[in-house]
Amino acid sequence: MHSPASEAIPALQIRNLQKAFSAPAVDNLSLTIRAGEFYALLGPNGAGKTTTLRMVAGLLEADAGGVSICGIDAFKDPIAAKRVLAWVPDEPMIYDKLTPLEYLEFVSGLWSMDAGLAHFKADELLERFGLAQHAGERCQGFSKGMRQKVALAGALIHEPRLIILDEPLTGLDAGSARQVKSVLRGIVAKGVTVIMTTHILEVAERMADRIGIIAKGQLIAEGTLEELRARAGDSGTGLEDIFLDIVNGSAEAVALTDATRRSQGAAA
Amino acid sequence: MSATMARAGFARAGSAQAGTLAWFARHELRLAWRDWVQLMSGGRRLKDHAVLIGMAAFTFGLHWLAYALLSAFFAQGARLEPGTLALITAGVLLTFTMMLSQAMESVTRAFYSRDDLDLILSSPASSRDLFLVRIAMMALTTAMMSGLMVAPFINVAAALGGAQWLGAYLVVLAVSLLATGGAVLIALSLFRTLGAKRTRLVAQIAAAVVGASFLIGLQVVAIISYGSMSRFDVLNSALIADSAPGTASVLWLPAHAVTGNLAALAALLMLSAAFFVFAAHTGAVQFRRIVIAALGVCEVPRRHSEARRGFRAQSTHGALMQKELKLIARDPWLISQTLMQVLYLIPPALMLWVNFGEDAQLPAIIAPVIVMAVGQLAGGLAWLTISGEDAPDLIATAPVSAFARLSAKVKAVLVIIAGIVTPIVLAMALMSVWGAFVTLCGALIAAACAILIQLWFRAQAKRSNFRRRQVASKASTFCEAFASILCAGTTALVAALNPIAILPGVLAIVVMGVAWAISPKRA
Repeated sequence: MHSPASEAIPALQIRNLQKAFSAPAVDNLSLTIRAGEFYALLGPNGAGKTTTLRMVAGLLEADAGGVSICGIDAFKDPIAAKRVLAWVPDEPMIYDKLTPLEYLEFVSGLWSMDAGLAHFKADELLERFGLAQHAGERCQGFSKGMRQKVALAGALIHEPRLIILDEPLTGLDAGSARQVKSVLRGIVAKGVTVIMTTHILEVAERMADRIGIIAKGQLIAEGTLEELRARAGDSGTGLEDIFLDIVNGSAEAVALTDATRRSQGAAA
Repeated sequence: MSATMARAGFARAGSAQAGTLAWFARHELRLAWRDWVQLMSGGRRLKDHAVLIGMAAFTFGLHWLAYALLSAFFAQGARLEPGTLALITAGVLLTFTMMLSQAMESVTRAFYSRDDLDLILSSPASSRDLFLVRIAMMALTTAMMSGLMVAPFINVAAALGGAQWLGAYLVVLAVSLLATGGAVLIALSLFRTLGAKRTRLVAQIAAAVVGASFLIGLQVVAIISYGSMSRFDVLNSALIADSAPGTASVLWLPAHAVTGNLAALAALLMLSAAFFVFAAHTGAVQFRRIVIAALGVCEVPRRHSEARRGFRAQSTHGALMQKELKLIARDPWLISQTLMQVLYLIPPALMLWVNFGEDAQLPAIIAPVIVMAVGQLAGGLAWLTISGEDAPDLIATAPVSAFARLSAKVKAVLVIIAGIVTPIVLAMALMSVWGAFVTLCGALIAAACAILIQLWFRAQAKRSNFRRRQVASKASTFCEAFASILCAGTTALVAALNPIAILPGVLAIVVMGVAWAISPKRA
């Protein structure tokens, strides 16, 4: 789908990104994700995953640092960056008073797509997500799973090169989750880059090419499952154990550093 | 809240038998009180000095207005002639229609809003008792809301004419019981005749029509009979004085009750209480069935007839505008509100028709009404399109500049405003081109002021929070109202070629300056 040259350009490059609210939420974070990669971003609650991704999507202003999306500086040229990006939040935000088809028509209009192509794509996506028979119904009575699938169809209709999904499987039943996973696999196979945050470690373990772990706004570990296993020092464990080892180890290290600083301060 | 306090709260709640009427009443009262405090303080702490000073100034202002209106009546001895009784009765009727409208809105909302109904209906507690309490709370809230508005008049009347006028507070309660009972019965009959699917839209539109009907009806009668828009012309007319029954007639029962006649007051209270008990009991028994049917309607997806048409080729700008127009057209509550604003335009339109070609000064009378209505309508629509966005992330991540986003939303508002104003302005132009031109300019400026205020005070919210928009920012609400009033005044004076027009015009600019200065600043 994309040329080797375009694959050489990272799909996402985050450089020294910083954001603080009352305390630092994202602390000098750097990250590079290759084109066509399925990247899972993990971390405990409040680690800074969503804040980081919201800054990438242009939904939150960064205090410092830079973001490039497919080689486009997202802070200097946000409109160009948004053309190749899709964002799916954890809580599907769609319009209750529109039908899925009308919603997709609206999204395709926002991305200035050709009307004929957009309609064709919309039909295809609704079919793929099992929503074809609901295409003409208003979304107000839809379940969370159906709403999530409508939102996901909206994210895919304009053929983005980078899709960011924040907890896309939360609240989905087994069938819907499988449908979504299958669609995501399909688009990654076509060369689209997917970044996903999730608390369902099994999904990250099975689907992700690489996994990044964030804690306290910093990237504390990154690599393939095998690389993370090697880092945790146990080749037989699952991602859950590896994740807890790394996160707890990091917390202990931070606590130790803080205690050392405090004692040094007291001594001074 | 500390654990000790939490335990203390449980202990208090435990003092009433759980699931009883008293227990439900306590629960509802607590919720109503918190709602009330939120409404009064706009979400700020009630102990906040600014809030208290603001409330005191508002109360003083209303009392001053009441004194200005009532002092002459009491100075002349407060004689209860048929004309006076007609005026008081009209006031009671006006309050009744307003209360009925508010109660119909509350009852319909109780049917369809999901809030805590899942919890209640799935619990073993008696839902009949809860709904009984809830209907009573609607009556109480309705009485309090209207009581607040008429309290300055009652207080001033009591101060000038004696303590017996305080009985009017009980009349407010009685009228509220009648209105709430009536609203429950109307909603039930709508449900029975139209079904759960159509009742919401019809009831909301009916609420808007009822709320405006009496006031507009009086204006229409005044226009047809006297060629003026003043309601007082009808009530003070010789016709009323001649044809009205004697002061002892039962027709004046509410008016006598307002003046503190104990027999009239007792009769009114007993009648209204009996009607309310009947209506509330009937409603509470059927509420569960109706609520379940209504919630079922929310679950059933609505099929759209245009499902299989092709996509329209449209620009980003066009897509945003189409979306806004579509959502506005599909919002039953908004339709009812818009209809109410349009209803207020009926009297001036009728006046145009009745006096066609006869009165050159007519535009000066009609223009401010149109400008006021347009300003208010534009404010509501602008809030919906600018702040009330249900998919903010989608819009924010679309490849559209913030300016393009906002301009598409503003254009959607202007398209609707133009659709409403154009026919009236064209009709005016047939009579006076100058008057039509001034009205058009005034309406556009009022709409622009309302839109600008909504832009300056924009805050992300769900569209369903539309009812609460005035609570969220009292400053923007007041600025919007003052700007509309001043634009209307300026338009009327310009239409009459009166140089004093410069005064309200300058004041309108000052209000806009203040609005800009106090609006939250953005980076």
